Amino acid sequence: MKEAYLGIDIGSISTKGVVIDEDRNIVARSYLWTEGNPVEASKRVARQLKEQLDELATEEDGEKLTIVGAGTTGSARRLVGAMLGASVIKNEITAHAVGTTHLHPDVRTILEIGGQDSKIICVADGIAVDYAMNTLCAAGTGSFLSSQAHRLGVEVEEFGDIALTSKKPANIAARCTVFAESDLVHKIQVGYAREDIIAGLCHAVASNYLNNVGKGKKILAPVVFQGGVSKNAGVVDAFEKQLGMPVAVDPDGHLMGAYGAALLAADAGPERAAESGPFASGEFDFEAVQDFDFKTREIECQKCANHCEVICVYRDRDIIDSWGNRCEKGAVKTTA
Amino acid sequence: MSNEEKRPAGGKGSPFLGGLLRRDDSPTHDPNAPESLQWRIAVSSEKRAHPLRPAKKKPQKDKRHSTNRVAFFRYSHYDPCFKYFVEQVLNAEYLPLPPATRRTEEVGTQNSTDYVCTPFKHILGDFVDALELGANVVVQFGGPCRLGYYGELQESILREMGYDNFRMLNFSYGMDGNTALGWTRECLKQVNPDINVPKAALKLIPLARMVGMMDSAYDFYLANAGFEVEKGAFDRAWATYMDDMSAVTDEASIQEAHARGMERMRSIPLNKPENPIRIGIVGEVFTAVDARSNLGLDKKLLAMGVELHRMINLTNRFVRYNEPNLRQSAKDYISYDMGPTSTMTIVAAKKYAEEGFDGLVHAKSAGCTPEIDCEPVLMRIAEDYSIPILYLTYDAQTSDTGLDTRLEAFYDMLAMKKQRGAWR
Repeated sequence: MKEAYLGIDIGSISTKGVVIDEDRNIVARSYLWTEGNPVEASKRVARQLKEQLDELATEEDGEKLTIVGAGTTGSARRLVGAMLGASVIKNEITAHAVGTTHLHPDVRTILEIGGQDSKIICVADGIAVDYAMNTLCAAGTGSFLSSQAHRLGVEVEEFGDIALTSKKPANIAARCTVFAESDLVHKIQVGYAREDIIAGLCHAVASNYLNNVGKGKKILAPVVFQGGVSKNAGVVDAFEKQLGMPVAVDPDGHLMGAYGAALLAADAGPERAAESGPFASGEFDFEAVQDFDFKTREIECQKCANHCEVICVYRDRDIIDSWGNRCEKGAVKTTA
Repeated sequence: MSNEEKRPAGGKGSPFLGGLLRRDDSPTHDPNAPESLQWRIAVSSEKRAHPLRPAKKKPQKDKRHSTNRVAFFRYSHYDPCFKYFVEQVLNAEYLPLPPATRRTEEVGTQNSTDYVCTPFKHILGDFVDALELGANVVVQFGGPCRLGYYGELQESILREMGYDNFRMLNFSYGMDGNTALGWTRECLKQVNPDINVPKAALKLIPLARMVGMMDSAYDFYLANAGFEVEKGAFDRAWATYMDDMSAVTDEASIQEAHARGMERMRSIPLNKPENPIRIGIVGEVFTAVDARSNLGLDKKLLAMGVELHRMINLTNRFVRYNEPNLRQSAKDYISYDMGPTSTMTIVAAKKYAEEGFDGLVHAKSAGCTPEIDCEPVLMRIAEDYSIPILYLTYDAQTSDTGLDTRLEAFYDMLAMKKQRGAWR
């Protein structure tokens, strides 16, 4: 029996999961859409990972891997972390930095564009030394690209290949999503070629990123680009042109958050056996996750005038976690 | 004789008389007197002095006291200072505000233009709270940036909202010509025409000392509360300190309350490492200082176990502010005064960087032009001293979760860096 660790990254658009073995190699991976339901998406990710692990075990000299710890990251990390009984619940910035620097120890700059946020992480000697994240505006993130793809009638997955065929990318103002959209509509209406518009969008995403998130940060080579948008060859090309340096995209680049969460869980070591939940027996029980029913309820606390919105997560009928409460008056006791 | 039997006449008809008559054991009271006379008897027996007790000296009424209820906006830990100012200097009634609620922010945001900076929205909400609680004077500071126009604008917004029965003590007025005279005139006009001006002016000295003491106490809190052994000990000590400071009336009681509070905080057992993570907070005078505006930035960072330093506070910005001298220490970066708090932001950032802090947090409200102007300078400092700076921009809609993510990542980064440094 070999020990293994699970990492899940639940983002706004997609949910990613990996399983790493003792040598910290990715042995199982899963990537699918969150579809607005992080609990269900994580269950599906767990199911896919389980299938891959079972396959591995039946192979020749395949050994059974036992998952002894789990980490979660991404915007739904808290909810899914409570659901899985994860030992590590980490923000996505740290998780990405940990994951990427483990795979690329010499990296100096990590560009990351996800579904709803984008960040830049500067690395020196294998550790993050500076980072920035988009603050007030989501212009140029993955969800912007996919809504524009929808408008243009192409799949967002084809975006990159179409963009690369363009000889003369259109100039699209991408300061703000709303303005970019009206500029785009204008250019469609005056008859620009579709590939030029798409290539223009990719350029706009890159320049918007460099002007906002990357502002004031020194971008040094080697550069690694990751997050869902890194799968878009058009944006990669735009980055290379604008930065004047090669931009590496790892085939597992979209899984880096999950990988980082798994690595952090491995650093934390095997989970202590919990009283209940998926880790009740000391090893992760994929079936248990599927069977439990998870619910989130928002309760408006009435104990004082502030009326905090307290969010409670229930596993079956037990409260397993709560947050959003600001004082001891509204403290929620977990029943599990 | 039971109580019931004693009040045959007055008790039934009016509850007011019943209340008075119940505690009668005065010898003159005649329960059989006609009902119409009962209240007179009650009142006169109240008035009559007890034969054995010495006559109480009637307290001299302070003829200069004004019954105007004055409220300030909510601002960090300065409530006791505002109270002292109103009660001792203006000689009026102080109306303390309860903690802000979500409604405060909603009302403030709804009635402000979207692009005004966030403190305006918070303060407007505070004024609405104050007026609803019965204030009839609200106080607004003047300021060297847009803040200088806010009082006037807020006053007209409040009047348009229908809160018409109030006056505003606005320190933006009276600044042309002799400021001291102008402000005195404003105080006399808006709050209390009977202020004994020389006496009140003398009371400003302990007030300035009080602000300084509270700031130094808070600096101690920032530097040490992250390392308390027993969770919540510092917050309790701080709450007691605030209560004590709210009760002070003169210099001696200020000194005493401060000494007691510091003693209490110093006696809290700490578990502070030799070389803790140190973070400097720089930024704009409202957002970087006021916990409600920066979503509890101090507490969030302290909970991670770090030492915090923050140069900007009322003492350093107003009481002892000497801009040209301050600017001198960062003359490689700035040659002019760039705005109300810009010099302090840049000087503080440079000082912290020189002292080898692990990171800086720059907090500003959305649309604060002077602090936006500081950012390129801060980026240069960050590069020259290779110190990471986390830039935070707050608007009324800023999400708490997003802030948690950024702060957690910032802390992780500093902690990992520190750990790596220790290995070498």
